[in-house]
Amino acid sequence: MQPHLKRAFIILVLVIIGFLFVRSFIVPESFGQYGWYRGDSVAELRDIPVGYAGSASCSGINNECHKTTYSIWVDSRHKTVNCETCHGPSEKHVIDTRVMPEPANDTREFCGLCHFKRAARPADFPQIDPETHGENLKCAYCHNPHKPWFL
Amino acid sequence: MDLSRREFTKFGCRIIIGAAAGATIVESIATLGVAQEESSNKEYDWNEHLWGYVVDTRKCIGCGRCANACKLENEVPFDEPVYRTWIERYRIVREGTEESVKIDSPDGGIKGFAEDIPAEEIKKAFYVPKICNHCDNPPCVQVCPVGATYKTEDGVILVDYNYCIGCRYCIQGCPYGARYFNNEKRTADKCTWCYHRITKGLLPACVQACPVGARKFGDLKDPESEINKILDKERINVLKADLGTKPKVYYVGLDREVR
Ligand code: HEC
Ligand code: HEC
Ligand code: HEC
Repeated sequence: MQPHLKRAFIILVLVIIGFLFVRSFIVPESFGQYGWYRGDSVAELRDIPVGYAGSASCSGINNECHKTTYSIWVDSRHKTVNCETCHGPSEKHVIDTRVMPEPANDTREFCGLCHFKRAARPADFPQIDPETHGENLKCAYCHNPHKPWFL
Repeated sequence: MDLSRREFTKFGCRIIIGAAAGATIVESIATLGVAQEESSNKEYDWNEHLWGYVVDTRKCIGCGRCANACKLENEVPFDEPVYRTWIERYRIVREGTEESVKIDSPDGGIKGFAEDIPAEEIKKAFYVPKICNHCDNPPCVQVCPVGATYKTEDGVILVDYNYCIGCRYCIQGCPYGARYFNNEKRTADKCTWCYHRITKGLLPACVQACPVGARKFGDLKDPESEINKILDKERINVLKADLGTKPKVYYVGLDREVR
């Protein structure tokens, strides 16, 4: 073989080896495991901790902690309103009861997010006029948030 | 050995192609082994599911608890106007003989909607919850230059926060405006249908927060699932169907004004 070809071959082979070497560092190990992405990222996203525990964690299936509140809530008009919708995400409190959830928002404006009269709401949803209803008292003064018809 | 230039080029090309092919084969054999190993020790099998989402716009009361729960669950910055899910208010307003459509979404609906148009001028009004459509044919995945966003086997579009370079092509590419730039992570970000919840058998935070059942989530592969029953019974629409993105968020009672 002519020497200039030999040199060219050697350079070519070195370039290929160099490319594969550098590539093996740059491309993450799990890239291409399931498709054109880093396979490990699926597990990473799956392992994010949960914030909302769900109403069933307050009582019922796993424990009896909030038995009284829960039992009046389950057959009230508010049974479709999750505990944590008013009380905030409470998974940390479920795991360790010494960590208290934020106190529930008991302002008129909070109940009003759902119940103040709005033109865009379905007409059959119970709505009140914030100006006249309840004499500007807190709603919980007359309604029990866990069972609104418990006057 | 006497080589012409042509023969040299040919030979060189063969070596390059051969080496590349060899490397790919070796690599895919190596990763095949890994893939089987990993999925065998996880109880959740993504091949058994295909997730779908139903929004019933006739039920939505615009309380914004979904958007609020989403931000809390997924640590979406509260002080920035970015949302993984939000609520739009559509109002068709009479102005004399003219009619106009007013669309707004103050704070994504999280703080509720104040009444700023007199009731007698409003002909029709309704809320439309919006969320990533988790398209079966996702434009955002196509435009990602580094493979940092992808569709999982169970049909969810995810972002790899450790691999995203923050170029924002995907944010531009989404026809639904469902993606945003996360200034804390310095990456693109979007709804994951709460992938960390659904793979543990829980509902997405927005679905759990909805007090009127306007948002439903379930498995399209399970014929008994609630959303399959709705899809069988109701008249269904999707947003921007003409784009061919094949959304997996199905709308019931969608008005023609909704875009
Ligand atoms: C509609 C909103 C709402 C829902 C839904 C709701 N709560 Fe409450 N809850 C409140 C408010 C407001 C208070 C505080 C006002 C009061 O004491 O009446 C409260 C108080 C409580 C308290 C007493 C706290 C204390 O300091 O004494 C407990 C316990 C409680 N809730 C548990 C629950 C559980 C369990 C559920 C679900 C089954 C639930 N709540 C659902 C609004 C709600
Ligand atoms: C997240 C939304 C939400 C919040 C917040 C909320 N409610 Fe409700 N409320 C509902 C739903 C949903 C119903 C059931 C409506 C139905 O059955 O059609 C309801 C029903 C009621 C009813 C019964 C209405 C009727 O016609 O029977 C009352 C009273 C009521 N709520 C009061 C309150 C009070 C007081 C608060 C604040 C502590 C509050 N709600 C907060 C969603 C909410
Ligand atoms: C002074 C006591 C009182 C206060 C305070 C009060 N309510 Fe009421 N609420 C009533 C009574 C009594 C009724 C039943 C009679 C009626 O419909 O007006 C009622 C009815 C309702 C209804 C059902 C209306 C319907 O048409 O079905 C809703 C919803 C409601 N209240 C929500 C609220 C909310 C939200 C607040 C706080 C902003 C509140 N209430 C504060 C006494 C009160």
